[in-house]
Amino acid sequence: MRDRGFILIFVFLSSIIVLFLMVPLLKLFASVGLFDIVKTLQERDVYESIFLTLKVALYGVIFVCITGIPLAYLIARYEFWGKSLLESMLDIPVMVPHTAAGIALLVAFENGYMGQIFKYFHIDFIDTATGIMSAMVFLSAPFLINGAKEGFKKVDVKYERVARTLGASRMSTFFSIVLPNSKNDIINGALMMWSRALGEFGAVVIIAYHPMVAPVLIYDRFNNFGLKYSAPVAASMIFVSMIIFLTVRYINNKKGSHIRTGELATFE
Amino acid sequence: MLKVKNLFLKKGSFVLGKLSFAIEKNSYFVILGKTGSGKTMLLESLAGIQNIEGEIYCSDERMTLLPPEKRNFGFVYQDFVLFPNMNVRENITFSKKYKKIENKETLLKDLVDFLHIESILDRDVETLSGGEKQRVAIARAIFSRPRLLLLDEPLSAVDPTFRNAIMKSLKDIAKRYDTTIIHVTHNFREASYLADKIAVMLDGRILQIGKSNDVLNNPSTLEVAKFLGFKNIFDNSLLGFNQPGKYFSIDPNKILFSYDNIDKEYCFKCKIDRVMGITDHYKVFAKVQNKTFFAKVPKNMFNKLKLEEGKECFLYIDKKDIVFM
Repeated sequence: MRDRGFILIFVFLSSIIVLFLMVPLLKLFASVGLFDIVKTLQERDVYESIFLTLKVALYGVIFVCITGIPLAYLIARYEFWGKSLLESMLDIPVMVPHTAAGIALLVAFENGYMGQIFKYFHIDFIDTATGIMSAMVFLSAPFLINGAKEGFKKVDVKYERVARTLGASRMSTFFSIVLPNSKNDIINGALMMWSRALGEFGAVVIIAYHPMVAPVLIYDRFNNFGLKYSAPVAASMIFVSMIIFLTVRYINNKKGSHIRTGELATFE
Repeated sequence: MLKVKNLFLKKGSFVLGKLSFAIEKNSYFVILGKTGSGKTMLLESLAGIQNIEGEIYCSDERMTLLPPEKRNFGFVYQDFVLFPNMNVRENITFSKKYKKIENKETLLKDLVDFLHIESILDRDVETLSGGEKQRVAIARAIFSRPRLLLLDEPLSAVDPTFRNAIMKSLKDIAKRYDTTIIHVTHNFREASYLADKIAVMLDGRILQIGKSNDVLNNPSTLEVAKFLGFKNIFDNSLLGFNQPGKYFSIDPNKILFSYDNIDKEYCFKCKIDRVMGITDHYKVFAKVQNKTFFAKVPKNMFNKLKLEEGKECFLYIDKKDIVFM
């Protein structure tokens, strides 16, 4: 082995972070056990809460796919005034404390002119699925937007130009050339957003304690009944999301990326 | 067929134009220029990819404001730009979803036979060689039945062993598929083999345009002559003319030496400055009035004359061999 020292140091350092990330999850599963996870999943409160979390997070992802993907394309393809500022602002939700984000959403959407507009259309945020979705979207949309942006940047603009000389319109080119060739990054971004949204607690708890999403239910059980009653719910939530996450990522990777990012070396 | 009037484009500090030229139907037009002279930008302007000032007409139809998809101009980039999410067949037939193409199946079969790509039709484009990618890119452009086919350095990424075969195919395309070709290159050999007409382009300007032989053998300006690799470019005053800013050039193979003052129109006393032996000839540098002429002297002639550095003799050139610019 030629680079033995280098590889050993890197493997050692990597294993520390892998253990740090994996041990709490494995310990949680080990302490709860598969039997208790299945049993917990049969409790109405739990499965309704997990289903609500998955569903609202998915709606959030769909909303950002429709609005954020065009934004990501504009940022990736065009130079315009205020572009850097816009890109920085899009990352701000990732940095702010989540409870502060919840307060900001309430101030923006429940008060003033905007609040009146939403009320006119009978759109409420407090203690509703809409409120939960707005909190999830606010804090996790940057993952999808940035993923899509990087994906679009990898697609050479010349593909679009050639497609147009072959008769495809801007819109057809976007759907037949740009999206298929950046889909891996978009799907990964969507997965990141979705998984981030599933775990959202701080902003959600400010806007909508009820109906209870899984993180609020876990917190509620921990607060009222202690670790023994909250751990199975936590394990169940992680178990369900992991299954969905790994399945989507497996399918996405199996289909493969069309854009080559470079050759990978193997350990010698 | 294609008329370009005062085409102008500014991108950062680079300026293209103002360019005006016309191309006949079914002809092969080559734009010859150095890398960075604006050739690709000109093709993109014609294709509608760049926003330009000026006018573009194709068969008397105004193209200037039409988007690329409405112009019906095919484009083949230097790096072929095959769509990675489609196989070879899907790439070639991409345009059928957006254009009405007559006799699609017959055309596809003809292209496949003509460009010898039958064996790769169902392959993934990433597994193709440079030559295969090039043929697929050309097939894809022709399948869309373009009125004008724009080729951006199409042979630069192709293995030299396949270049001749592909050049032959390219030459046949204009008539076989009833299209007109504009081919951009920096390669003189390609230009001289393929072109009916050549335009020499440098720094965003077209400096000379004309029939292939005329342009390659009779550069009209000093810049074009230097770009085309002409040697021995001197001021006309050396020949006794009083034409400031006018130059002449003489092919190194056409320069002769003698120890006698021969009765020729242009015979100059010279001093041999430097001699370099090459396989079948000698490179001789001779000074005439502080100007250095470069001549290629065949070995047998060199041995007969016994030219040596420092020797004085006469250098003469025939009037018919002089290229004036």
